[in-house]
Amino acid sequence: MSDRFELRGLVWPTLMLLVMAGCGGGDGGGGGDAGGGAAMEDPVDAATAGNIAGSIVFEGDAPSMAVIDMSQESVCADKHSSTPMIQEVVVNSNGTLANVFVYVKEGLESLQFPTPGPVLLDQNGCVYLPHVLGVMVGQDITIRNSDGLLHNINASPTVNRGFNSSQPVSMESTRSFGSAEIMVPLRCDVHGWMTAYVGVVDHPKHSVSNGSGAFSLSTLPPGEYVIEAWHERYGTQTQNVTVTTGETTEVTFTFSAS
Amino acid sequence: MGKYLKHPLGQAVLVFVVAYFLLDFGIEYIPPLLGWASAPIPNSVLLQYLITVGVGILLWVSDNDARWAEFKAPMHRVMVDPGQKTLRNSLMVLVPVLVAFATFNSVRPSVSAPTTLRAIHPSAPGQFVFQGATLQLAGLENPLRSQGSMEEHYEEGKRVYYENCVGCHGDGLDGQGHYAHGFNPAPLSFQDDNTIATLVEAVVFWRIAKGGPGLPNEGAPWNSAMPAWEDFLTQDEIWSVIIFLYEQTGNEPRTFEEEAGGGEAE
Amino acid sequence: MMAARPMALAVLFAAAALAAGDLSAQDGDDLGEVTYVRWCAGCHGVDGTGNGPGAEYMLPRPRDFTLALYQIRTTANGALPTDDDILAIIDRGMPGTTMPGWENLLSDDEKEALVEYLKSFSRFFTPDEVPQPLDFGGATRVNADVLAEGEAQYQALECWRCHGNEGRGDGESSPTLTDDVLDFPIRAADLTENWLFNGGGEVEDIHRRMLTGLDGTPMPTQADLITAGIIDEDQLWALAHYVRSLSPDDPPGITEVVRGVLFEDAPLPSSVNDEAWLDVERAYLPLVGQIIVSPRWFDPRVDGVWVQAAHDGESVAVRVSWSDPNNSPDPEWADWKSSIISLMQPKEGDPQDEGPTPDQLMVQFPMQMPEGMEMPFFLRGDDSRSVYLWQWQSDRDGALEGEARGFGTEAFQSEGENLTVDASHADGEWQVMFTRRLVTDDEADLDFVTGEAIPMALFAWDGDNGESGTRGAVSSWYFLFLEEATPTTVYVYPALAMLLTFLLGILVVRSAQKREREGGEVVSETAI
Repeated sequence: MSDRFELRGLVWPTLMLLVMAGCGGGDGGGGGDAGGGAAMEDPVDAATAGNIAGSIVFEGDAPSMAVIDMSQESVCADKHSSTPMIQEVVVNSNGTLANVFVYVKEGLESLQFPTPGPVLLDQNGCVYLPHVLGVMVGQDITIRNSDGLLHNINASPTVNRGFNSSQPVSMESTRSFGSAEIMVPLRCDVHGWMTAYVGVVDHPKHSVSNGSGAFSLSTLPPGEYVIEAWHERYGTQTQNVTVTTGETTEVTFTFSAS
Repeated sequence: MGKYLKHPLGQAVLVFVVAYFLLDFGIEYIPPLLGWASAPIPNSVLLQYLITVGVGILLWVSDNDARWAEFKAPMHRVMVDPGQKTLRNSLMVLVPVLVAFATFNSVRPSVSAPTTLRAIHPSAPGQFVFQGATLQLAGLENPLRSQGSMEEHYEEGKRVYYENCVGCHGDGLDGQGHYAHGFNPAPLSFQDDNTIATLVEAVVFWRIAKGGPGLPNEGAPWNSAMPAWEDFLTQDEIWSVIIFLYEQTGNEPRTFEEEAGGGEAE
Repeated sequence: MMAARPMALAVLFAAAALAAGDLSAQDGDDLGEVTYVRWCAGCHGVDGTGNGPGAEYMLPRPRDFTLALYQIRTTANGALPTDDDILAIIDRGMPGTTMPGWENLLSDDEKEALVEYLKSFSRFFTPDEVPQPLDFGGATRVNADVLAEGEAQYQALECWRCHGNEGRGDGESSPTLTDDVLDFPIRAADLTENWLFNGGGEVEDIHRRMLTGLDGTPMPTQADLITAGIIDEDQLWALAHYVRSLSPDDPPGITEVVRGVLFEDAPLPSSVNDEAWLDVERAYLPLVGQIIVSPRWFDPRVDGVWVQAAHDGESVAVRVSWSDPNNSPDPEWADWKSSIISLMQPKEGDPQDEGPTPDQLMVQFPMQMPEGMEMPFFLRGDDSRSVYLWQWQSDRDGALEGEARGFGTEAFQSEGENLTVDASHADGEWQVMFTRRLVTDDEADLDFVTGEAIPMALFAWDGDNGESGTRGAVSSWYFLFLEEATPTTVYVYPALAMLLTFLLGILVVRSAQKREREGGEVVSETAI
């Protein structure tokens, strides 16, 4: 029944993965199973690795956040204890900026990372949780509808192919992106205020600044890196960072109100 | 089957039926198969043609006594043969009912639009006022053909066409634009060989400049949705779109020499 | 009489292409490129990004081929279209948009080359990856139970959030819908007008689009619902059947004459929702953008109106119904309105969003019944022939009567005392009923005659689509024909004719039989 509607395009990649997994086993790579990439070992030697940690400082007056009018969607409105706001610019109480996507832009090209397990993107209270999300190429995104009313998840990438799927009830769908892309915008056309961004990178070394403006990129081999920070309104910034074994390098990005 | 076709009555019926289909459908659909334009014929004309065919058939069957007798024998038999009583009685009912039906159709009040006759190509005036200046039609040439680059005039004409004309006259210049269905009479197809191909550029210029509102009296009932483009476009824009129309359809404008020599009425 | 002449046109086009290649084409040029530059670039732009000279006069804008986002496909959501998909769009066009069908205008070679050329605009198309169509299965049979199931799914899957309760594209999310590429306003499809569905209006077309989604638009795929077991295939087909059932079985033909039905015994409908209207036949009159006088309007919301008319010998009632998602002015649509005004060319008259504007309807008749062919100019008359107007707008009670001799010269009587109006807006539809006495004392009114075709034209405005004044939708002249009581002679003549034919038949047969009895076998030699 349902397989009739599966993308036929999936058949070939799946077959190829199976073949590659088989070849890997033949090379004596050690216990390669049909799970493909899942069996791959982390290429970073934890003993020699260092970390990057830092925060996103915000300068200037924080723009006022627009209020979301959920009056017509009482199911969602009731889920919010405080007035829901557009999450485009979220300045934390300590003067830092949340929802900044930070990732290693250059310096990890030679390493092959195993694909991590699925990451959750929830639609709850007619907002996306989280608002900014990082994934690795090929990593599954579990898109959940916790509201039980119609959302559509409309991804409009430019490097990848997009999708636009309907979720009229509480349910989950799974999607992934095949190429690195900063950033893939997602939106719900039913609720025009619902937007989210997905950063797709070739490795798992990415982070999103949190409610205290902090981010961290852990377990990196020692060396030189280019780190990029992306914000929905204020654009991107890069810094060159040196990572040394056993140490945590502090990095601060500063975004200014424009 | 063959038996019936050897009989004069069968032949007469066959000729009549074939003639009907040729006239009613053949005229409309056969020439287009060969690439020629055609249109259905009106019912009144169809009736005249069919009467002519009927008279011809009667002349032929009555031309020879034996054939005439053979022709009417089946009909006669229906009238007199006791064995044909059922058929006879059925016909006695059926024929009057058909006649009644036809009469009803012709006398019942019909809801119809008045037929309008309208000159699609009204003849152009000798002179006309364009944006305040009086232009003589005779000898009015497209000045762009003798200056500048034709490629540029074509591109400029294309811009003018797509910004202004495409909604009615269509991307294919076939009069099938996305607004064409909203207007009656329908927008002109420049692909037809009896539109711009039969005109000198000066007449096309006049029609574009003056549009529907500028039509002479014979252009009534004033339905033409063609705007008066002199309100929107410059003289050069109109001349360039004329170059685009001819170039895009592969038509050549007539020249005044042809016009004078050909002596063809508009 | 203009007949469709596809073959003739194709031949002409081929000839045109041969004769006219000299400006744009050179020997050895790619046929796809030549065809594209010649016939497509006017809207889609030479570089394929959808920015040709005509683009800003169109909404939705022409497709940007560099993104390889195609709405109408047989492939999965987000996937590339097959070559046949692209070819099908070239052939059929996109109904409801400005994209025409090229089936009869381009040769097969040209279209094939064009498909390759269109694909070359995007890096997504590669030779090794051949898009595969989905298997859609066959349509299920339709019956009342299936339609009920389909309606239940329409509710359960919340299609109404955009398409509205009755499918007229008036759902609560419809004012904020935008396309994915330009973020321009995009209309939720009016599901009651399947002849304007850009991927085809039959149940298979509808089902296909529900599985593939309309990429680049807010319309999502429903395929995940089947994968997740929330609905099954039959339920999706039921939904497709239900959506199909919202439109008439056949697209409305354009009738030139609106019949004004005579109510001899029953009273005229007294209100716009009077059930008596259900029995009065409807005529569909298409409306298009007012692109004749400045400032022009290239994005009319109203694409057609349904007209009904009735009279009882004393008064005439005309009911006009049309899809309009909201009762303007409506603050929910304020952003939509300002977007439309800022996006649409031409900027004649410097259109500004000047605050709330109502929906409007105007019905126009000639001030004097035309003699012969001399009708007033169809846009508000002309210097020598004036028109008589009925005008209604959503933010005012009552209707006005007026006169005009050209656009902008409308003069309305202080209050239309002879004209009454009843209007209602529900589920994305306006219904407006005008009633007037056939003959009035007022010399400034048209006296309606029965038994004659009275020229009639209509104009409609959607205020929240930025429409007012010359920016609106117009029709050309149609006719209103107020029926007369059927004279008894209409029944007498056929009866007489039948009787006469019957008697004549008896006579002929009797005389033939008589001669047969008298003349025996010589009958065959007797000439009549």
